[in-house]
Amino acid sequence: MSMFEGFRFRRVSSVVHLLDPRAKFFFVCVLFITAILNSKLPPLILLFFVPLPFVLMAGVQREWIRSMRGALFFAFIIFLFNFLFTYLYTEYPQVPSAPLLERSIAMTLRFLVLVESFSVFFLTTSPDHLGLALEQSHIPYEFCFAFTTAVRFVPVLAEEAQTIMDAQKARGLELERGNFLKRVRNYIPILIPLIVGAIRRSLELAEAMESRAWGASEKRTNLYVLKLKRNDYLLVLISVLMLILAVYVWLYIPIPSLTILLSF
Amino acid sequence: MIEGSPITVANETLAIIETRKLVYTYSGAKKAALKGVSVTIESGEIVILTGPSGCGKTTLCRCFNGLIPHFYGGKIEGEVVVAGHKVVDQTIYELARHVGLVFQNPENQLFALSVEKDVAFGLENLAVPRDEMIKRVDWALQMTGIEDLSERPPHELSGGQQQRVAIACVLAMQPDVMILDEPTSFLDPVGAQKIFEVINELNKELGITIILVEHRLDLASKYADHVVVMDEGKVVLDGEPRGVFNSEKARLIGVGVPKATRLYQILRENGTHLSGVPVTSEEASKLLLEVLKRD
Ligand SMILES: Nc1ncnc2c1ncn2[C@@H]1O[C@H](COP(=O)(O)OP(=O)(O)O)[C@@H](O)[C@H]1O
Ligand SMILES: [Mg+2]
Repeated sequence: MSMFEGFRFRRVSSVVHLLDPRAKFFFVCVLFITAILNSKLPPLILLFFVPLPFVLMAGVQREWIRSMRGALFFAFIIFLFNFLFTYLYTEYPQVPSAPLLERSIAMTLRFLVLVESFSVFFLTTSPDHLGLALEQSHIPYEFCFAFTTAVRFVPVLAEEAQTIMDAQKARGLELERGNFLKRVRNYIPILIPLIVGAIRRSLELAEAMESRAWGASEKRTNLYVLKLKRNDYLLVLISVLMLILAVYVWLYIPIPSLTILLSF
Repeated sequence: MIEGSPITVANETLAIIETRKLVYTYSGAKKAALKGVSVTIESGEIVILTGPSGCGKTTLCRCFNGLIPHFYGGKIEGEVVVAGHKVVDQTIYELARHVGLVFQNPENQLFALSVEKDVAFGLENLAVPRDEMIKRVDWALQMTGIEDLSERPPHELSGGQQQRVAIACVLAMQPDVMILDEPTSFLDPVGAQKIFEVINELNKELGITIILVEHRLDLASKYADHVVVMDEGKVVLDGEPRGVFNSEKARLIGVGVPKATRLYQILRENGTHLSGVPVTSEEASKLLLEVLKRD
């Protein structure tokens, strides 16, 4: 189950959780754009700290640290690639030069900022809210329904997979045996019942939906309605200001790199 | 029956569902699943539909709300009339306003992330305005006794709670008839008992017609006004509970005749005659006391 723990959203409510997902998404996008516009280390360090107050206010530090730890491996790869490729394809003077190192760190940090802002978004937005936000953004209802239903059934299927695996192991199936191809083949007795079960489940689901007037009217109504509140407007305002600042700086103010700053 | 106004008397004799010589074959199947079913369900009654596994109970339920033929296809002959509408001429969603269907497996009929959202699903589809929807959802939750679960995710509830949510989902749409296809087969006896009580209340307070497919006749029969027994795609017994349960045929088909009725039969075989046919253990004990006092 542990692999799927991340899909389970724990119901907590905080100022951040209560924010409109659309406002939060806008904020995340602005962070994203700002991170892309900047390639220098000092502003990226600053950007890295921007989502932290939200993490603390939402009280999701532990989950956030876990997701960042998960990203660390990729961050390391990105760092290595940047370092090697810029070294191989540009004519920097000394071998591990300070600017080269700084540039690689900046690129890695950019990646971390992206992961960070998205993880804050997903850690503080219930799938329910997200589906609703999609719906109210005029995305076709079928798609939104598919999204929330998938969120609802992923843990169920994961549990079912575990049950089937245990059952097949109890009958003597050995999963971790043989070479790569053999191992893949070992999973067939698990996949087939899982797929058959999923199809049966989806048929029953369709039957239940039909019986509850699915497709009765062109324009569905909705039990929940998202409305932008004061805090949401505040967040949107902050995001817009940040975006303006970022674009302005990008156009008119050349930012020095940390190496240059320190050499003064 | 209580003497009521002329309107209720008129209602009581009105057939809400009627099938005539209904024959149905699933697409791709060789044998017909229903072989000439003619039944009449009257408005306001609680009907128990029973019979051995595979005899066509679920198939008949699907005919009542239009899943057959609109969802399943296949070949249908004869006639099904529900609340004055011919099923073949209606869409499933039109019929959903009149007939609610609760399925056997509580898990796969709930798909939203909160109970209230699930209960609202049908109303959202029917484009019921939001204020009205909120009222109806609260009402349905209250009628089924699950107000306190309204924000919980349905898949984290117990089977009994899930089944009550499923009933609320259908109830919110305010149907004339509610069909429950073996709603208790995944539940323990206590959970089953609770479901029966909820169903009974809906029938008595709101006058909703109930069709209950059930094997646990010991628990369910005391609520029934009418019992239909099927076997191999046909209706073999149809009438009021005492007559049906007491018939020799019911026992031969393998219907789980209530123990109280079975006790009556055994006593009769041994020469002790009770003054009536009991269906529940309460009735049986009363009749037994009568006999004991007489002797
Ligand atoms: N979806 C289906 N497709 C084909 N045949 C079916 C389908 N569902 C049920 N049947 C067949 O129809 C008959 C009646 O089944 P069913 O109505 O489910 O019985 P019951 O609910 O009384 O157990 C059975 O022979 C069964 O195999
Ligand atoms: Mg069945």
